[in-house]
Amino acid sequence: MAVLALPRRRDSADRRRHTTGMLLAIPALALFAVFAIYPMLRVFYLSVFDYSLTTPPKFVGMDNFAHLATDPQFGEAVLQTVVYAAGTYVPALALALVLAHALNNRTRAGGLIRLLYFLPVAASWVAVSVIWRVVLNPDGLLNQALGLHLNWLTSSDTAMWGLVLMGVWKETGFFLILFLAGLQAIPGELYEASELDGAGRWSRFRYVTWPMLRPVTAVCSVMAVIRGFQAFSPQLVLTNGGFGTEVVNLFVYKTAFENARMGRASAVAVLMFLLLFVLTLVQLRVFARRDR
Amino acid sequence: MRVRRTRTIRTAAAVGTALVLASALAACGSGSGDGGAVTLTFWTHTHPPMVKLNEALIAEYQQQHPNVKIKYQTIPNDEFNTKTLTAMSNGTGPDVLNMDDSALRGEYLPKELVAPIDAGALGAASADEVKARYNAGVLDGAAKDGQYYGLPSEFNATAFAINTKHFTDAGLDPNAAPKTWDEVAADAKKLVAAQHTQAFSFLYLHSGWYSQQLQTLLNQTGGTLTDPGHEHATVTSPQSVAALQLWVDLAAGKDKSADPNKTSREATSPFSDLATGRQSMAIVYPWAMEQIRQSNPDVYKQLKVVPLPQLNPAQPVNRWYGYYWAVGKASKHQAEAWKFISYLASKHERWLSDVDFIQPVSGWDTGQAAKKVDALPVWSSAYQKGKFDQVAPHYSEVQDALTDMVNDAVFDHVAVPDAAKKASDRIDRSLGS
Repeated sequence: MAVLALPRRRDSADRRRHTTGMLLAIPALALFAVFAIYPMLRVFYLSVFDYSLTTPPKFVGMDNFAHLATDPQFGEAVLQTVVYAAGTYVPALALALVLAHALNNRTRAGGLIRLLYFLPVAASWVAVSVIWRVVLNPDGLLNQALGLHLNWLTSSDTAMWGLVLMGVWKETGFFLILFLAGLQAIPGELYEASELDGAGRWSRFRYVTWPMLRPVTAVCSVMAVIRGFQAFSPQLVLTNGGFGTEVVNLFVYKTAFENARMGRASAVAVLMFLLLFVLTLVQLRVFARRDR
Repeated sequence: MRVRRTRTIRTAAAVGTALVLASALAACGSGSGDGGAVTLTFWTHTHPPMVKLNEALIAEYQQQHPNVKIKYQTIPNDEFNTKTLTAMSNGTGPDVLNMDDSALRGEYLPKELVAPIDAGALGAASADEVKARYNAGVLDGAAKDGQYYGLPSEFNATAFAINTKHFTDAGLDPNAAPKTWDEVAADAKKLVAAQHTQAFSFLYLHSGWYSQQLQTLLNQTGGTLTDPGHEHATVTSPQSVAALQLWVDLAAGKDKSADPNKTSREATSPFSDLATGRQSMAIVYPWAMEQIRQSNPDVYKQLKVVPLPQLNPAQPVNRWYGYYWAVGKASKHQAEAWKFISYLASKHERWLSDVDFIQPVSGWDTGQAAKKVDALPVWSSAYQKGKFDQVAPHYSEVQDALTDMVNDAVFDHVAVPDAAKKASDRIDRSLGS
């Protein structure tokens, strides 16, 4: 009898534990629902309304999306976002991988060097932007260092690249830490075995490091796309979107809060959400396929 | 023991949940002072001399009215309109705000976000009686359909400042200041030759600054932004293109008088180049001169205020703009708010002596404080005849289009008609949607 009774008691204890767990999670879930889920659903809802905050929302169906489809300013914002994201995050990822590889060999100064690379990540975008406004000034450090006379932030030829340069400087450290963690998780035996098989440095990277880093690379890739498409602060602080640097988030901000077109801004947000969702799925599928 | 601990955790979780829900519900409905006490929120931008006097006047008012508490908040200039507009649109804005006339007429009045003046609270029998206290036309900057919505905290005409030391360095006579834009260009060439390389520059701060300077020139060329019905942009009209061309000639074209890439872009101290002696000539307003006097007294002594250069000096056209104290329509204490504004407005002599804010009540230029104003005849003359900026529906979008138009033409060297056409298309899209 005792043997039969034991599972029932355990079931009951498990149920109590689950109930307790659920109760403990409720405050966090409630906050998440109020501050994350509800606003997101509200954005989807508002995207089919004309809403200026001061008058009741008026249902307009797909008009907001139709307007965006023919709005050259929105088209430019999308293009500029893609250029900024690709220009910043492709070099940042490549540089992070190279640096992580170099820093993987533990040296006495390794910790300090890693810290130095990570410092820009810890600083806020606004603070970094203020510093880079000095760096990119016509009489600033960059022109002096390179012997150039470029008006980095007041020309459509250079403003985007000034922002990209700053972005690479700021973001490389973030991916460097992720890659470094991935590299240090690769078992040393794999390298020893490949060395015994006569593999050179490139072969070791090609056939050991790169495949073993694939999960980390997938995470980095997904995060890079999301961070790239979420760009906002440097564009706001340094150029306010002028000189060909208005990215989609800044377009949303201006449309919503300066021009009080909440419905149209919501439509852009919905499109960006869907785009990022699809891009993330595609990336995960690509990396999953390679894993097979 | 284990059961008791589980119960304790469950109880704690339930209490935690209740607390979160309770605080969330409490946040949904914040109360205001009662029992006769009134709390007024008051928002302004961040002009330091103005902030200092506001703080002093608030302290005095609270002392005289112990039942009133004023919560004063300053917001950086380039964020002020965005934050205030958003807050007022969703009913969380201030009771009292200090807002420029373009924003008031362009956004706040059409959206019905501010309340009409309360003549009784202002100690008058009617709005017309309040209007009669001021020079003609002054309250039009905060008017809609014959109703008035604000009292001027500062009312600006436009003048020009020259650095007399720079003029002397360049062999120019400081007593023969330029009267036309051609003369500005000619003097600038001599100033640049004398190593004062930032001879004259417009200010490239934020869209409000771009559009107000452009409208200064539009007033003189006879150009406009839109047709009277606001159905179409008119920035491609010959008069409007002439205004942009004038800007481009002075900034980057044949009459280039400074490197626009090297002008300061710090919106919280807009005249820092003039104030620090880097720039020789600038378009100025009364408050700007006071700011320079306080921040850079040595350079201030070198500056001289002269009339704004004109295209046609025989028929000068000036630009007016003002900031107005207004009351949020959602305010639950509108009468108290107007009484507070009445107190602020009654101190027009102090606003002039301490901050150089001119509040053009009738006879302002004959008061004690006015006698101490440098270049009073210049300012007084500039106040005689002026025009408020033209505003249009979705004015923020129009201002953004104008900003990009100027940037295209000045910094990216796009041909003026092409830059104007691009802005025109953008304004048309904005007006039509």
